[in-house]
Amino acid sequence: MKSGSSYLASGPFVWLVTIAITTLLLVASTKALWLVVPLLIAIILYYMMYPVVRRLALSGIGRDSAAGIVAGGVTLLVVLIMIPLLPWLAAQSVSGEQTLLRYLEGGRLLVDRTLAGLESQFAFLRRLDFHAEMGKRAAEFGDTFVQKQIREALVAAAVSLPSLLLAPFFAFFFLRDGQLFTKLVTRGVPNAFFERTIYMFERVDATAKSYFQGLLKLTAIDTVFLGVGMLIVGVPNALVIALVAAVLEWVPVVGTVVGCVFAVLVAATDYPNDPWVVYATVGVFVANRVLDNFFFIPLTVGRSIRMHPLPTVLMVAIGGAVAGIPGLILALPLAGVVATVVGTIAAIVNDPRLRARNAYAKALLAKRVTADLQV
Amino acid sequence: MFGFLKQKTEHPRISQIRQIGLFSTLKPRELRVIEGLLHEREYLQGEVVFDEGEEGQALYVVLRGRILICSQGDPVAGRVAEIPVGALFGELALLDGIPRSKQARAAENSVVLALSRADFNGLLDTHAAIASKIALQLARDLGQKLVTRFLTVESRPL
Repeated sequence: MKSGSSYLASGPFVWLVTIAITTLLLVASTKALWLVVPLLIAIILYYMMYPVVRRLALSGIGRDSAAGIVAGGVTLLVVLIMIPLLPWLAAQSVSGEQTLLRYLEGGRLLVDRTLAGLESQFAFLRRLDFHAEMGKRAAEFGDTFVQKQIREALVAAAVSLPSLLLAPFFAFFFLRDGQLFTKLVTRGVPNAFFERTIYMFERVDATAKSYFQGLLKLTAIDTVFLGVGMLIVGVPNALVIALVAAVLEWVPVVGTVVGCVFAVLVAATDYPNDPWVVYATVGVFVANRVLDNFFFIPLTVGRSIRMHPLPTVLMVAIGGAVAGIPGLILALPLAGVVATVVGTIAAIVNDPRLRARNAYAKALLAKRVTADLQV
Repeated sequence: MFGFLKQKTEHPRISQIRQIGLFSTLKPRELRVIEGLLHEREYLQGEVVFDEGEEGQALYVVLRGRILICSQGDPVAGRVAEIPVGALFGELALLDGIPRSKQARAAENSVVLALSRADFNGLLDTHAAIASKIALQLARDLGQKLVTRFLTVESRPL
């Protein structure tokens, strides 16, 4: 008797193949980043819009029309938001570098004050000239960061902006023709493996759906928690910072740190003489991280990927190493999908009955097509 | 000019699906939705559709040919039923993923339509009206099969 879980093989070999294939896909993705980024956004949009499309379909509107209405509505909404936002963004970009430098200076002053405080408390740090050395390194890092990293990131974002317009286009077709794609692929599968293949597609969809919908729920929860926390602490623009930090959490490991540093820079600049605001902001982020790990993540993203923690951490590290930030975001959902496909294929390969059925079907076909060709 | 007044001709494929008892109560628009979900599979005489004990992932409707339901490894003495054109089999897979109780194999070259459990569950979410019509027809079909089985047992000599 076969149960659903036995349709998916697992074990060290399956994990090795999964990691190898995911790594190859991530390396390939770096060569087509202009396509990968809009595709990733399209997948997130698809899982955001899917419940609305479902609701419309339930009210009697056809799926095609519902997909068109929702995708069109989202595009229109983005355009309506962008029209008044563009002049503001243009104005901001002029003063953007000054603003950034002001916040970095605020951060540098915080580090400087903290180091001076540490040096006055600990004699061995004074002997090492810790304050001066670390201050020099922080200034060097700040200069390199502004001149190189941020400028490069902004240029890359500007270059990839037109390709982002592909995202709603892709999302619409995912919503409208997703099922046709499954049907098309399944058509080429031999009869013996047909039910396994539809099970695999069900699992792939369930994995991606639970991951991305869970991620969106987690973003909403984190935004509320961080926003309320920073409002209480008194950080200016708390909700905007909370939303940015919650979106940054999509990047595993690095995202939390970057989000926290961003909030700390704002707090340190706007409250230069009140270090407790900075410490409380860090406290809010630490509390959020702990709650994420123990409550929010199990409740939202949960075990959608169904991977052991060891290959999970390994996969995130490989993703970051081979494909940077998109690699960090993509590594886990991609590994989850690849694991399902590899697991299904491995289960088929290891099932002698299925292989025998396929061979029998081939023999029947061969007999049929050669019936009138006997010498 | 008045082309919109002309009655639209139905696609032959849709007409074919309408003939199937399970989908006979669906409207043309609903039939088009179902048509997008059905997988057409061809089986040669003797080919196995599913084995006894497998977890069912789909229900099947016979479009052409006949399907034999039998005990695995004993298609002659273990013959349970032969499914004719328009009838369905493997329907319990749609309600629950319980293991197949018998083997199904093509009694002659056959074409079947498969509706997967995942797609049926999707229908419950997106097209509840279609799913409820199919579920009702499915319940009728199962009821009919139960009555037939009951009468067979009743009429059996003691």
